[in-house]
Amino acid sequence: MGNVLIATDWLAACAGCHMSLLDLDERLVELLYHVTFTSSPVTDLKHPPESGVTVGILTGAISNTHNIEVARRMRSRCTYLVAVGDCATFGGIVGARNLVGTQAALRRAYLETESTVDGQIPDSPELGRPLDFVTGVGDVVKVDIFLPGCPPRPDDLHYVFAEVLSGRIPVMLPRENFRYD
Amino acid sequence: MSTITITMNGQKVSAQPGQSILRAAQAAGIDIPTLCHHPALAPIGACRVCLVEVAGQRTLQPACTFPVADRMEIQTESPKVVRARKFVLDLIFSERNHFCMTCEMSGGCELQDLGYRYGLDHWAYPTYTQRFPVDASPPHHLLDHNRCVLCRRCLRACAELVANHTLDLRQRGANTMVTADMDAPLGESTCVNCGTCLNVCPTGALVDKRSAFMARPPDVERVATVCSQCSLGCGVNVVMHRGHVLRLESLWDAPVSGGLLCRTGRFEALADGRPRLLEPVRKSKGEHVPISWEAALAAASQRLGATAPSRLGVFTTTRLTNEAMGLLHAIFVRHLKAAHRGASHSAAPGMTACRCGKLADIADSDLVLLAGSDPAQDQPVASFLIKRALDRGTRLVTVESRPTELTAFAETAFPPQQISKAVALARAAEKPVVIYGADLTPTEATALRKLEAKAVFIPLHPGVNTLTAETFELNGKMDAAACDTLFIAAGEENGTIEAVTRKAGPKAFVIVQASYGSALADRADLVLPMATWLERSGTFTNTEGTVHRAHAALTPSGQSRPDWDILGRLAERLGLDATIAKDAILTCRV
Ligand code: SF4
Ligand code: SF4
Ligand code: SF4
Ligand code: SF4
Repeated sequence: MGNVLIATDWLAACAGCHMSLLDLDERLVELLYHVTFTSSPVTDLKHPPESGVTVGILTGAISNTHNIEVARRMRSRCTYLVAVGDCATFGGIVGARNLVGTQAALRRAYLETESTVDGQIPDSPELGRPLDFVTGVGDVVKVDIFLPGCPPRPDDLHYVFAEVLSGRIPVMLPRENFRYD
Repeated sequence: MSTITITMNGQKVSAQPGQSILRAAQAAGIDIPTLCHHPALAPIGACRVCLVEVAGQRTLQPACTFPVADRMEIQTESPKVVRARKFVLDLIFSERNHFCMTCEMSGGCELQDLGYRYGLDHWAYPTYTQRFPVDASPPHHLLDHNRCVLCRRCLRACAELVANHTLDLRQRGANTMVTADMDAPLGESTCVNCGTCLNVCPTGALVDKRSAFMARPPDVERVATVCSQCSLGCGVNVVMHRGHVLRLESLWDAPVSGGLLCRTGRFEALADGRPRLLEPVRKSKGEHVPISWEAALAAASQRLGATAPSRLGVFTTTRLTNEAMGLLHAIFVRHLKAAHRGASHSAAPGMTACRCGKLADIADSDLVLLAGSDPAQDQPVASFLIKRALDRGTRLVTVESRPTELTAFAETAFPPQQISKAVALARAAEKPVVIYGADLTPTEATALRKLEAKAVFIPLHPGVNTLTAETFELNGKMDAAACDTLFIAAGEENGTIEAVTRKAGPKAFVIVQASYGSALADRADLVLPMATWLERSGTFTNTEGTVHRAHAALTPSGQSRPDWDILGRLAERLGLDATIAKDAILTCRV
């Protein structure tokens, strides 16, 4: 394990961006000579260490109050924050909710679906409250690198890791690592 | 014209006075990005993506409309310019739904390309704030307002190119929307479904229904060919993905049509639902049995050779290539001397002494006299060209026995008896053009000849390659009932041909060369399966007499073969001197 610490977390996301990370395949082994993954949604340790990491990776959109908390926690514990995937950069597929409105989406999902019997919109105080408007991560915390793609290709993630490990923060992604879809 | 010298990004460049900065840059190989600009349309400077810095100008200027001047100094990619462009793009992206993953255009979208070029990796402003409708009412395309960037290319194309003036913008600001007529659904509007707007739209707003989401734009290939639906010979791009035709698109540098296509040429030419004929068959005891090409051609040549000329008939669709018609001429006119010859369409009467014009002449004329022809119906792109001229002040007079779509645009519509009045108007004009069709009566033709010295004459022949069928004497007298053997080159034609051949006696031996199954093919004693227009190369002589080359986009289905290939083999079987056939083909190319 290398000495650059990386923590990842997800917000309103599918697991696709994390799968793309795992898709680095043998390059992941190579990467592990340089970095240590402290925590991620797919490991036992979920939260970034309070002592901080160099690189924080967030996938997924800001869709509820819990997402805001997670994003702020990551921001406060990392030096460089990378927003990975269309959801984290643009709101992505989650942002499609904005086209119908949050309340309509909740009604459709929990009450009106053809298979629903006695449905109820969840309102436990332990759950994050859905926001009226879905956004990318950049709307709630400062992001250092945006990497769009749904999901970004392993090559694109590899490019970002290589740059950051060499001490560079790309201002603009090269065309071959930049995809909106 | 004297050239002037300007400086672009510190580099000396020569330009033409009056030229826009964009054109001067393009000529010098300097890339200025654009979005609302389209080479076939007049520039309007609406999107502000092409903003450049011009020394001495207080603000940035749109390169597409700003004219160059001597010693002008221009920066096309300075930090100030790039900042402004990013700002413009941020605004455009934020206005509607530009989530590319679910967009048909992704990979071929001009807005997306700009996003990549200027590194738009997140939204600067809230997006998806307003939901717009999708208008899927037209038969072949749809308009998703959520992807529209209000570049106005579609409305300009509809007005400037098609002269149909269906589209416009309604409302103001963020609520602005493309609209048809007085806010009608497209499918109920004056739209003629030519699809030209579809072809100029830079984004995924205007989409072809048939091919939507079938292939990403970078994965398609295009084959340029000639439309074979009427006698104009418009150029068309066949868009393909892995050997499948997706759609037909404008061919902007096509000589006759300059990118225009009509509903038939763009959409309906692909919507043929008839079953294909895929193998040669022979009738045996009332049943069709498959046979080899060798056997089919042997049977055909044997039968043809054994029939007396007076009992032999040949009938052809006008959709065959020049090459195939030349071979029909060599085989049936010269070699077998068939007494009965017919074609699906007859050409408009010849006006040999007249100056035969080109469709391009319509644009320069001050008066169009239209007689015995209904281009809006039969050669729609010609009607677009006429209406385009009318927009620029050309006058239209028609001579007609019944009103057509163009009647409404005519200054005066004369009944046939009053043709002399129309002729008088044309004579008083400066550059009159006479457009006439096959409905012209001999009396009308005589009246029009009075304009011989003055006007340019453009015939609009019905059918497709009708002029060549006429040149090759294929359209003569035809009495199907008097034939023992009938060779019918039906090709992709349908009804017209069946009507003629239904008269054939029950004993007649009928050989059919066709692409699709029909009552005619069922009746045939011998069926020779023919490739479709997408599957064969060859040449066509259009209505103005110019020759156009068609290129096969697909390989022929099943065992079908190109029209000229079948006839070439048949000629060989009949022992025809190959040079006769070759000569025939060469004559039609002159
Ligand atoms: S129109 Fe272009 S920019 Fe908009 S979603 Fe489609 S591909 Fe993306
Ligand atoms: S399809 Fe043709 S007629 Fe209809 S709106 Fe588009 S350009 Fe105009
Ligand atoms: S529909 Fe397409 S061509 Fe028309 S204004 Fe919108 S983006 Fe432009
Ligand atoms: S006008 Fe004629 S040649 Fe042109 S696209 Fe239409 S059918 Fe084809």
